[in-house]
Amino acid sequence: MPQPDRRRFLTSAVLGGSAVAGATALGSLAPEAAFAAPPKIKLDPGALDPNFAEGRITGISGSLLRASGSDRTLHRVHVTDGTSIWKLHPTTFDQIKVGDGFYARGVRLPDGSLAADAIWVNIVNLDASIAAIEAARLHLDHNGKRVIGHVVGGRTAAVYGSAPAVADLTRLQVGRHVKVIGAWRPDTNEVDVATVYSGA
Amino acid sequence: MGCSNSGSPAYGEMSWFCCGSSWGPCGSAGHGACGTCNSGSHQCAWPNTSDACFGITHPDQCGEGLARRTCGHVFYVTSVCSGKCVSVSIADCGPDTNPFCGERSCCGSTCYTNRIIDLTPSAYSAIADLSTGLSPARIDS
Repeated sequence: MPQPDRRRFLTSAVLGGSAVAGATALGSLAPEAAFAAPPKIKLDPGALDPNFAEGRITGISGSLLRASGSDRTLHRVHVTDGTSIWKLHPTTFDQIKVGDGFYARGVRLPDGSLAADAIWVNIVNLDASIAAIEAARLHLDHNGKRVIGHVVGGRTAAVYGSAPAVADLTRLQVGRHVKVIGAWRPDTNEVDVATVYSGA
Repeated sequence: MGCSNSGSPAYGEMSWFCCGSSWGPCGSAGHGACGTCNSGSHQCAWPNTSDACFGITHPDQCGEGLARRTCGHVFYVTSVCSGKCVSVSIADCGPDTNPFCGERSCCGSTCYTNRIIDLTPSAYSAIADLSTGLSPARIDS
């Protein structure tokens, strides 16, 4: 039986006005599953992407997120059972809160709302240098500002060079340039660290 | 030219960065070296946009002979993992290649080395999962 088209499925789910049952018929709901479709990216380079939205969530009504874009554009984002959600790790809709920041990708509907294929909540990707290291926190300098990176037991991992990710953070060094994937704690200078990439 | 059909593609790691109006730690990012960068647009940072840029990123110290390309130049970036391609225009200088010389990202048995391009969140998310942070890619002009 052919795999249902994920985008068509999401669109019909939203237009149907109800939550989607049996979404696992689509296969995995992990974020990477949203990128398994054939390549069909047609957009002029440099152009704003109509199938993308970002900003801060201002309200949640059922499965509809209302948000204010950083450029003050107002967004409405539909989340269905087929939407992959990331907030430090793959998670569920009930973990999304008013005030969260987000990036979302999906299908723009005729009414201007977005049916989300994937939504990344509070995700950050920081180029930083390590200013100090504590047992459960990294002090990071990022764009001239201090960011506190919290180590999350069972989640935070380090990648040293080209080696696989490990839970051992003891090889991190003060002064080292790092890239940090994490989840911002809204309205603070703090993030929960998912992965820290160190050069060696 | 277009996706995966130029004569001299570059292979390496791609990542993503925020720019323009944004939230959280990205709020201070600004519009990039070209003054046009926005997270919602299909744009990129390239480590050899000028002498000043090259002096910061130094991809040559990682053995990367990346050509000088300036603001507005268009690349076609193909994700090894998804096979998807996105066209992006240069809007900033980056990534900072040399602190991470030798770093490698793989998809299956295909691995590419060194950070050679950063995409905006809208561009990266069109071909890969933002939570991956780094991913192997082919870059064509």
